[in-house]
Amino acid sequence: MSFLFATEAQFQRLVDFEGARRHHLEKDRTKKDKRMPLPEAVDRFVQDGDILAETGFSYVRAPLQAYYEIMRQGKKDLVGIGSPMSNCSFFMSTGCMHSIHQSYIGVEMRGNDKSFSRIIKNKKAEILSVWSHGSMAQGFKAAQLGAPFIASRQLLGTDIISNNPYVKVIDNPVGNDNRPVCLIPALFPDVCIIHVQKADRYGNAVIEGPAINDLALSAACRKVIITAEKIVSEQAIRENSAASIPFWYVDAVVEMPYGALPGCCPGHYYWAREWWEELVRIATPDEEKLKQYFKHWIYDSKDQYEFIEKLGGIRFLDEARRQMEAAQLFIDDSLVSFDYEEVKPS
Amino acid sequence: MTQTAPANPLEMVAYNLSRQIEDNQIVYIGTGIPMVGALLAKKTHAPNITMVFESGGQDPLEGDMPWSVGCPFTYRKSPMSMEMAASFGQCSLGYVDIAFQGGAQIDMYGNVNTSVIGSYEQVKSLLPGSGGGNDIGSLTDRSVLVGLQSPERFPEKVDFITTPGYLDGGDSREKAGLMGGPVAVVTQSGIFDFEPESKRMRLVAMNPGMTVEMAQMATGFELLVADNLQEIEAPSTDILEILRNDVDPRGVFISF
Repeated sequence: MSFLFATEAQFQRLVDFEGARRHHLEKDRTKKDKRMPLPEAVDRFVQDGDILAETGFSYVRAPLQAYYEIMRQGKKDLVGIGSPMSNCSFFMSTGCMHSIHQSYIGVEMRGNDKSFSRIIKNKKAEILSVWSHGSMAQGFKAAQLGAPFIASRQLLGTDIISNNPYVKVIDNPVGNDNRPVCLIPALFPDVCIIHVQKADRYGNAVIEGPAINDLALSAACRKVIITAEKIVSEQAIRENSAASIPFWYVDAVVEMPYGALPGCCPGHYYWAREWWEELVRIATPDEEKLKQYFKHWIYDSKDQYEFIEKLGGIRFLDEARRQMEAAQLFIDDSLVSFDYEEVKPS
Repeated sequence: MTQTAPANPLEMVAYNLSRQIEDNQIVYIGTGIPMVGALLAKKTHAPNITMVFESGGQDPLEGDMPWSVGCPFTYRKSPMSMEMAASFGQCSLGYVDIAFQGGAQIDMYGNVNTSVIGSYEQVKSLLPGSGGGNDIGSLTDRSVLVGLQSPERFPEKVDFITTPGYLDGGDSREKAGLMGGPVAVVTQSGIFDFEPESKRMRLVAMNPGMTVEMAQMATGFELLVADNLQEIEAPSTDILEILRNDVDPRGVFISF
């Protein structure tokens, strides 16, 4: 196959079961303190050319601050995958990524991401394969289950399947319904960063709220970085058998309060809604405006604390915390206002 | 006494969507006007429905309009949440009664396009992609499509089939290996179904003030019309007030 940007190796590696298994067998299982600062974790474990899987739900418990560190370090030739994968648009516009396996890129009702549109139209990036959320989830799940593929009835009959060189269609060889099924191969991205509410120093990690694809991705990916709102003791996790991810899947642990901002983090803080609306509605339609937006928020911010200052500091955080508590009904939500000034396109 | 303004076309869509839901059903919800329709159903004739979401939230307690399918309101005090694979798996497994789908283009067999207008090689307009659309449309027993009609948005054949309807009509969906299928389309004209043999989109009920001619003018293919075409009764003042004051008080989805 020929690609505009990706290599044959990148294309094949996504479904290389034997290679991923060998990598996992050779991974260091030492139960050691894997804590390190974010810049070191990104420097060591996100390499140029990696297939990077997005985690969380793009702006829900997603490791956005870590993604911004990837951009600051100027990582190149990444291949994006995920369900959803709205941040891949920003990896593409900042030059880190030129190839994706696409399921969904956008911010739902906030509007269409015009930057993504522009980049694909102008062939500044390529779509290597097309997916749906559920089919990609099956692919990651197959990897977690140690299965070469999962048979499914998604994608059948559609143009998605004809734009997906990985998925095969066969007649169902088992049971009574022998109509076609599609075979979704186990998917093995090179690296993912998962933002969790709690982790211990070894990498045992606790996800609160919907896991989305993160349980499967932590098993499938060759390299896993955990960013955690809080580092807790191993005993705290043993107490409730609470771990969602076992330490031996994990390569690095980063203590990262507010790591999911400007998205939301269950149990911690609500979104910065105006930030997303400004991004999608005002910045993405104009390449120069988008560049300025990322310069201000990402390249000129050293870490999440500088980012928070720009969002409004403690006043912003206070409100975001109470809004999340109210949304989750941890407090009486009549005590909290969700009113905000919607950012409208000009 | 102030007069309640009559339902606008978006409100009629929300109302007609809500009428597709029966009480006690398990309903798969996406953002936008489908959410409005489901919330309206829950607050009116279907108080015992269970709502499930793509991001994994199951049966959340009622709250504000979710800002996204991943919004915390979708797993608000949920007894449990499911991983994404399980969340779609339960559609295939027979635990979801009805799902709603929007789309940039919907064709005469109920195929939906949320991927690209044109093609990926020659993009005219790039759309966000399937998201959970294909999964829901492929696996759920009954899905209801929703869209604002125009000849461009309702072409004879979508540029790209993201979510399968009845594919080429007849038994092509069944032959392809799919299960269930779309049972209705809700637009500003009224409600459509799919003629059982040909699987072509068919007008079955019209909103107040709409005519067959108007519905046809807003469609890019020849519409079938049911023999017993119904006229939809406008929603009561009570229902409209619930819609405007409780369900979408900021008018995010129901005002122009």
